[in-house]
Amino acid sequence: DRQTLVAVLQFLRRSNLRESEEILRREARLLGDDLGGSVATVGTSSPGVAAVAAVPPGKGETRGGFGIGPPSRGYVLHSAPCLRVSSPSSKITHSADLMGGAVVVEDQPDVSAVLSAYNQQGDPTLYEEYYSGLKHFIECSLDCHRAELSQLFYPLFVHMYLELVYNQHESEAKSFFERFHGDQECYYQDDLRVLSSLTKKEHMRGNETMLDFRTSKFVLRISRDSYQLLKRHLQEKQNNQIWNIVQEHLYIDIFDGMPRSKQQIDAMVGSLAGEAKREANKAKVFFGLLKEPEFDVPLDDEDEEGENEEGKPKKKKPKKDNVGSKSKKQDPNAPPQNRIPLPELKDSDKLDKVMNMKEAARRVRLGPECLPSICFYTFLNAYQGLTAVDITDDSSMIVGGFADSTVRVWSVTPKKLRSVKTAADLSLIDKESDDVLERIMDEKTASELKILYGHSGPVYGTSFSPDRNYLLSCSEDGTVRLWSLQTFTCLVGYKGHNYPVWDTQFSPYGYYFVSGGHDRVARLWATDHYQPLRIFAGHLADVTCTRFHPNSNYIATGSADRTIRLWDVLNGNCVRIFTGHKGPIHSLAFSPNGRFLATGATDGRVLLWDIGHGLMVGELKGHTDTIYALRFSRDGEILASGSMDNTVRLWDAVKAFEDLETDDFTTATGHINLPENSQDLLLGTYMTKSTPVVHLHFTRRNLLLAAGAYSSQ
Amino acid sequence: MEAAKMASPKSAPKDAQVMAQILKDMGITEYEPRVINQMLEFAYRYVTTILEDAKIYSSHAKKSSVDADDVRLAIQCRTDQSFTSPPPRDFLLEIARQKNQTPLPLIKPYSGPRLPPDRYCLTAPNYRLKSLQKKVSSTAGRITVPRLSVGAVSSRPSTPTLGTPSAQTVSVSAKVGAPVSLAGQRFTVQIPSSQPAGKSATPTTPTVQNVLINPSLIGPKNILITTNMVPPGAADPNPLKRKHEDDDDYDAL
Repeated sequence: DRQTLVAVLQFLRRSNLRESEEILRREARLLGDDLGGSVATVGTSSPGVAAVAAVPPGKGETRGGFGIGPPSRGYVLHSAPCLRVSSPSSKITHSADLMGGAVVVEDQPDVSAVLSAYNQQGDPTLYEEYYSGLKHFIECSLDCHRAELSQLFYPLFVHMYLELVYNQHESEAKSFFERFHGDQECYYQDDLRVLSSLTKKEHMRGNETMLDFRTSKFVLRISRDSYQLLKRHLQEKQNNQIWNIVQEHLYIDIFDGMPRSKQQIDAMVGSLAGEAKREANKAKVFFGLLKEPEFDVPLDDEDEEGENEEGKPKKKKPKKDNVGSKSKKQDPNAPPQNRIPLPELKDSDKLDKVMNMKEAARRVRLGPECLPSICFYTFLNAYQGLTAVDITDDSSMIVGGFADSTVRVWSVTPKKLRSVKTAADLSLIDKESDDVLERIMDEKTASELKILYGHSGPVYGTSFSPDRNYLLSCSEDGTVRLWSLQTFTCLVGYKGHNYPVWDTQFSPYGYYFVSGGHDRVARLWATDHYQPLRIFAGHLADVTCTRFHPNSNYIATGSADRTIRLWDVLNGNCVRIFTGHKGPIHSLAFSPNGRFLATGATDGRVLLWDIGHGLMVGELKGHTDTIYALRFSRDGEILASGSMDNTVRLWDAVKAFEDLETDDFTTATGHINLPENSQDLLLGTYMTKSTPVVHLHFTRRNLLLAAGAYSSQ
Repeated sequence: MEAAKMASPKSAPKDAQVMAQILKDMGITEYEPRVINQMLEFAYRYVTTILEDAKIYSSHAKKSSVDADDVRLAIQCRTDQSFTSPPPRDFLLEIARQKNQTPLPLIKPYSGPRLPPDRYCLTAPNYRLKSLQKKVSSTAGRITVPRLSVGAVSSRPSTPTLGTPSAQTVSVSAKVGAPVSLAGQRFTVQIPSSQPAGKSATPTTPTVQNVLINPSLIGPKNILITTNMVPPGAADPNPLKRKHEDDDDYDAL
C-alpha cells in the first residue's frame, strides 16, 4: 500500500493536480510512523513538469518529493520502480530502473526530515564551479577544521561524477574528472581508476558496486564545530546547489569534541561507505567463549614418559582445573549455551578433546623471548595454481585447492590416508572388536595423496571440519562442495551463490559453515539443509573472507569494499562495522579469547580491533604486500602474519592489547590515538626464498606451520 | 609473476600495443605476455558477436544498414544473457530479511551424518549397468539389489574406492548400504523382485558387483531406496515387471 501511495502521488504530480497532491501528502504524513527497510529511490519524471525539479533558491532544503512522517526523524522508503527527474535545461531522461537512486534522509538534529526525490541538482555545466568553490573554502579554513572537512572531497567528487555520467553528460563528466581526480587521497586511486572507465550510463549498469555506492549514503564523522562552519558556508545563497548535493549523498555523523587530526582520520577512512556510524557499533556483542564441557581425564595414560609414580599427581592436576572452572560464574560476556543450537558432543569428539587437553599440557609457552619454530610446507610444481590451503586442527592433514578445480588432500603425519571398505567387505568384519575403527579402513586404498574431482572452476576456499570427517571447498563455479574424508568422495553440492564463492569455513563446533562470494552476501549453511539458514547482506562489494568467532555465535566478513562486518548468527543482524583498511580484506583472525579481531588486507597493514567496544586498537605496519594469512597462537600471545611479500612476521599480541584506553570519550566517539609502536611489536621477520605465504596454522603445541606455493622468479 | 614484457614497438602489431596501453591505464603492471593475446581474442570475439547480433536486429527491423540503436540493443541483450550481474542491493536485503526471520532449526541428536535429503546429495549412483541377455536363474526367491556405489563420479576407475573386481557373483547376505559415511537407514530401495541370473556386471565395469540379498534380512525401513540401476536380466520378459519402473526413475544428476 505504500507503493500505491507513491504511485498515486506520482500520478497526481504528473497530471498537475497540485492541490490534491498537497492534501494527500499532508494526510499521508499522519500515517507511516516507522518505515524501516532498505534504501530505495523515489523519483518522478514528467515532460513539462520540470518545475518540480527546480529548487527554490534561498531555501536550504530540497522539496522535490513528498514528506512522509513526523519531522525530526529520518526514514527510508522502499519502492520498486522509479523514474527520474531532470532539470529543464537538460534532456528528459526517462529511465525506469529497478534499483533507482538514493533517497535523501537526514538524521541531523537541527534539520527537519524531508524525503526528497533524487532529482538533478542544478546545472551540470556548473558542477566544476560548485566543486572548486567548496575546495577553495575548505582550503582556506582553519587548520584544525581542514582535515575533517577534507573528508568531503572524495565522496562529493564521486557522487557528482556518477551523477553526470548517469544523466549522460559525458563531456562534462570527463572534464570534471580530469580536473579534480588528482586532488584525491592516494588510497582512493584504485577506485578512481575504475571510475575513469565508467564514462557512459550503460557502463554503470553492470557494476553493482558503483550502483550500491550511488544509492547508499557515505558516512562522515565530523566534529560539531567543523560541521557548523561547513553548514554556515553552504547555506549561503550561492552555495545552494552543493548544499543539496551534500544533503543528498552524505550522512554526517556529528560528535561533540575536538576535531580530529589528519592522522586519526587517515587511520579510519578508506572504505567505500565512509566510516561507521557510532550507533552501528553500539549493539551488545557476546564475545566470550562457550563453556567447555568437563569430563574426567582418563586414567590410563598413553604418555610417552610413562612415569607411573608421577602419573598419579599429574592426573590430579587436570581434575583440579575442571573443578575450578565449575565454580566460575557465567561469564557476562559469553553467550548463553543454547543461544544457537549446536551439535551434541559425540564420543569421538570427547576423545578428541581429551587429546587436545593432553597436547595443551605439553604446549610451549610463547612470548617475546620464546618464539615459535616455523615449519614451512612448500607446494612445488603448482605453477601459480594454488588458491586455497587448510590444515586440520590436530595438524594431521593438509588440503590444497587449485586453479585446475582439483582439491588435493595430503597426510602430514606418516599415517597414510585410507578410505572405508566397500559394503561387501564391511559386512565381513567383526563389529565388536576394539579396533573396529581400524578394521573398517581399506588398506589397499592407502596413499599419501587423495585427489578430489568435482568442481568446475578454481577452488578458492577450503575448510576441514573439526571432527575431520568432512571437507568443504568453494569455487568459482558458485557451489560449495562437501566431501567425505572417509570415502574421499563428494557428498553434497550447495548451490546458492550463483557467482564465484571466495571463502568458506566450518564452525568451530562443526555442522554450520559460512560462505561468502561475489554476490556481496555471506550465507550461513548447515550440512543437512540444502538452502542457507541465514543471509548476511550489507556489503557494497564482494565478500572476500569469512570467519567464525570461537563461540560460533558471530561471523566476521571482510569485503572488497574495505570494511569488516560482524554478524550475529542468531538473527542475521550486523552488529559491528570496522573501517580503516585501504584495500580489499583478505585475512581475518579471532583471538583465542574471543575479544579481539585481527584483519589483513592488500594495503599491507594488520589492524587490530576490540570487538566489545567496537574500536580499532592497533595497527601493525611492516608488510609490503597483501596479507593472506593471519593466525593467533593457541593461547593468544603471538600473532603471526603471512604475506605475498614472501615473509612471515610475528607480532607480540599481549603487548598490543594491554593498556587499552577505553574511557568514556573513546567509547562514545570511537577515536583512539594509535601509538606508532609497530616496530616494538614486531618480534621477527622470516623470509622464504620466493614463496608467498598463503596459510598459517599453530599446532596444538604451538609449532607454527606455514604453507605456500613456490613461484619461481 | 613474470615481469611485464612489453613488445617492442617495431614488432608488435598496433592492436597489441593498444591493448598493452589499456592494461597500463587500468593499473595492471605485471602480467604474463600471453594476457595480451587473450584480451585481444576476447575483444575480437565479443565485438563480432555484438555486430552479428546487430546485423540480425537491423535486418529484422528492415533497415538498410546497421545503426547505433541496433548495436545498443545487441549489447543490452548480450549483457542480460551472458554477463549477468549479481542481484541489486535492495533485493538482497529483502531476501535476507525474510530468511533471517526464521529461527535456527534445532539439531536432532545422534542422527548420524547430517546430510540433506538424498535428492539434494550427490551420493546416488549415476550409471546403469548394461543388461546382458541372461537366462533366468533358478534362484527364485532371492533378490538382487545392485549395490549402491558412493561417489562413483569422482573416483577414477584406476583407483576404485569402492568395490573390487570380481568375475562371479557373490551371493552374500548382507545388509543394505553399509558404507560408514552413508546414513543407511535413510535410503529407500525399490527391490526388483525378479530373479535375474546371478551373473555379475560385464567385464567392462569391473568396479561394480551385484549383491544378492536375502530378503528376510531386510526390514521395512531399509528397503525404500530408489536405485538407478537396471538389474541384469531385466531385459528378460520376466513376469515380475515392477523393475522396469527403474528405467523411468532414472534421475539425471
